[in-house]
This record gives sequence, C-alpha cells and structure tokens, in this order.
Amino acid sequence: MPHTRQPVQSVPDASTPLASLRRGTSQLFETERRLNAVLNNASVSIFLMDDRQHCIYMNRAAELLTGWTLDEVLERDCPLHDIVHHTYPDGRPFPLAECAIDRAFPENNQERGEEVFVHRDGHFYPVGFTASPIRDDAANIIGTIIEVRDISDEKAAAERQRLLINELNHRVKNTLATVQSIAAQTFRGQTDQAARAVFDARMVALSTAHNVLVENNWESASLRSVVERALAPHLLAEVDVNRFLLDGPDARLHPKVAVTLAMALHELMTNAAKYGALSVPEGRVAVTWSLHDRDDGREQLDLAWEERNGPPVTPPTRKGFGSRLIERQLPMEFDGSAAITYAPGGVVCRLEIPLTQLGWVGQETLEGHPAR
Amino acid sequence: MSLLEGRRVLLVEDESLVAMMAEDMLLDLGCEVVVAMRLDKAVDHVRAGNFDLAVLDVNLGDARSYPVADLLFERCTPFLFATGYGKQGLEEAYRSVPVLQKPYQAAPLAHLLTQLLTCEAPMWGGADEGPAACACHRPKGKPSGGGLSGPTPSADDPTRS
Repeated sequence: MPHTRQPVQSVPDASTPLASLRRGTSQLFETERRLNAVLNNASVSIFLMDDRQHCIYMNRAAELLTGWTLDEVLERDCPLHDIVHHTYPDGRPFPLAECAIDRAFPENNQERGEEVFVHRDGHFYPVGFTASPIRDDAANIIGTIIEVRDISDEKAAAERQRLLINELNHRVKNTLATVQSIAAQTFRGQTDQAARAVFDARMVALSTAHNVLVENNWESASLRSVVERALAPHLLAEVDVNRFLLDGPDARLHPKVAVTLAMALHELMTNAAKYGALSVPEGRVAVTWSLHDRDDGREQLDLAWEERNGPPVTPPTRKGFGSRLIERQLPMEFDGSAAITYAPGGVVCRLEIPLTQLGWVGQETLEGHPAR
Repeated sequence: MSLLEGRRVLLVEDESLVAMMAEDMLLDLGCEVVVAMRLDKAVDHVRAGNFDLAVLDVNLGDARSYPVADLLFERCTPFLFATGYGKQGLEEAYRSVPVLQKPYQAAPLAHLLTQLLTCEAPMWGGADEGPAACACHRPKGKPSGGGLSGPTPSADDPTRS
C-alpha cells in the first residue's frame, strides 16, 4: 500500500516546542497515565495498527493473548498478521492478502468478525474481533484499532450445547420408540388390533410433533409445519391438498403449544377419518387460522377445523380422549378456549390459544440474557 | 375404605396428556380432583378452596410451582411434588417435601398421599426432628412469609406465570 497517508505515530513528534507547552505537557502526561491505566487493566486485547497493518501498540491483555510483547512485535517490524495470524488451523499458510481483519482496514466503525489466531507457542485459539478506523483531522483513515477477545470458552460451550441437544433428540425419540415397543410386547394378543393401531398412531403423532421441535433446537416450532406434519398421512408424505385446505400465516410456537396442538389435530383427523369428512372420498377439511394481538400484549392464535361434504354428523354419545384433550385440557393448559360443534353439515372445532412467550424457566440463566 | 376416599385434591400439572392421566389416577383412588395447569390458576384455587391434599408438578413450563407450595405451607395443607428430576431438582428450601418421581404411578401416589394424611411422611425438617414432625411444620430453613422464587403473591395480585 502506498504511503500516501500520515500513519499513526507511536512516538510523539520530537520537534514539539516543549517549553511553551509546559502546562499542556503535564496535562498530556496525566491523560496518558489514565489511558495506560485503562488499557493495561482492560481484559479485552487492544491493538493499534498503522496504515501498513503493523501493530504500533498493544495492551497487556493483548500480550497475554498472543504470547508476544509489544517490544517484540515492534522489533519484528512486519504486519501483525504475520505474527499472530499467519497459519490456517489446517496448517496451510495464511497470506495477509486473504485476511479479513487486515483487508478490512475498515471503512465502517465496529467491523466485527471471528477468526482463529496462532499463539506464540503454536496453538490455535478462536477470537472475536471488532475493528474501527482511526481518522486524522481531515477524516483520512490513518490506522485501525482492533479489539480482540478469546472466545474459546464460548466456542466450547456452544459445542457442548450442540452435543447435548443431539443427545436430547436422540433420547426423546428413543424413549418414544421404547414406549411403543413396550406397549407392543405388553398388549400382544391381549388387546384388540384397533386399540393398538390407535395407540401407535398417537405415539407417531407425538413423535412427529417432536420432530418439528428438533428442527429448531427445542426453542420453538413453526405453526405451519406443526399443522402440515399433523395432517400428513405419514412421515414421508405431504398433506393431501385435494382433501385439506390450509390457510393461515406462519408463526413460532412454544414447544408446549406445538405438542398439544399437534395432538389435538391428530385426534380431529382420526375422528374425521373414522366418522367424518375423511371417511368418504368427497369429504374435505378446511384448517384456517389467524393471529391477532390481545389486550395483555400476547398474540392469540384462532384456528378453525371445518369439515364438509362428509356423511351427516351425529353427536357422539360419549366423550372420548380426543374431545377431553381438546375441549378441557387445551384451554386449561394455555388459558384459551376450545369448542367442538357437531353441526349436521360437518364437525367444526374452534380453538383460541393465547401464545405463550417463547422460553422456559432457567433459559435466562443459560443464555445470559432475559428470554422474555 | 381407603383413607383417600372423598379427599379434595389439587392437582397442578402443566402437560395436558400427563394431567389427564394423573387426574384419572386420583379419581380412581376416590379423590375429588381439581386440576390447575397454570401457576396463576393454581394460586387462585388454593386461595379459594380448602384442599385436603395437593400434588404439584414442579416445572410448569414458564414458571415453577413454589408460590403454590408457599401458600399450601401457610394453610397447613399437606402436599407432594411430582417431578422427573427427583429431589435434587428442588430448590434447597423445599427439599424436605416428599417427592413422587415421575412418571406417575398409582401405587406410590396412593402411598405418599396416605402418608401425608397420617403425618407419617419422613419430611418437614428431616429425620433428626423425630417422627412427630407433621405437615403443619415449616421445613427447616424455610423463610417465613415468602418463597425463594419471588415475593409471596398478595390476594389482589395473583402471580402471573
């Protein structure tokens, strides 16, 4: 890079007329002392770079981070990159031209990123950096200030979290499969096949609802995915668009809402397949939903299940698992409402579910910031 | 006739499917069951009704059931925690409350509830306080008038979950 700009000076200009600035000098001295106290007690590493990407100042934290002292770095008289960032983690040389930090010589304040540095002793460590330009009075960029943080602990924690979530997914699915197997073994030849089929279908519905959660690290589930997965005939199939009309916006659902809603839809579908619109070829089901804001600041999901072109509907003589789950438990669980109407033209189910804020007890602690 | 026959039991459980099963178990034991699935509703129920017993799920999704426990302590209503985490999952001050390990099972549920009624449960301050300890005794180290999870809700400000 041509030296068209005045680089940041590490040594004050020797020609400063000291005598006439005695008062000013003592103020400068005080200021420098304060700045040094700040810089050398900061836990973040700070590098001051000139316009050739040579480091002309680094604080104590930076010396500890890199394993190099400022004097050694000054003595090397080369771009900082060649001292702390010269090799890729896979061992290939890392030329300065490919370096995001140095190439940035940032036009923007607070340019951020992550890189992997090499310690003096040869070990690699991940860092997060923030780079900002230093400008002269004429707004020309004359250097860069780079803050660097060792993010090894954060990387390790993220990796642990990823492994734990994988393990959680694995265990939940395995546990459901185990329950299914225990039921199969226990009731072999003792329960009628229809009851077994109902049980298996419910287990699969539960498992499918968990699949949707797994896709988002258990934090939330897509409303549309929950509906689509619940209404698809099996795991590998899509919703039959000739049978179902789905209409509504997507939203993020709390895991609890997702699972209970999926189970509710499964029960409606089972009922429709046995007695309702899905029991005849011409039957149709419309599942439509909307979201609106409530007075208490939460969002509310209004969802309607409407069957048509099915056989004439007669209200059931007894309330089964499905209607108990939908009409009694679901409103209690979410402080909402639910009603199933056995209208002659087709079963209608209307759900009003205030959407629970995403998050769970302890999530703030885990993530270090309030989840709600 | 079972000691549990006709007892009024508050069941606090936040998962629909699990609540259905626990309710059925309590009904089969002859109990009269009131189900609450949210913290605010549970608190309202305790304030409004006289219960002989209570079964509290600890983790209510976005809240824990400790404020309900505090109210039950105040009213000397015996209760147990039902949790999959076991005793270790409880906050220190509540460790003397009997724990029913989830998943729910009818026999241990009936056993623990009966013990609660006959004051036989080894709890409320630990074994060193002798067998006379009863549900009406505050557990050791329990701060009076408030839970660890926040201020005890006042009557006109039910704790929102």
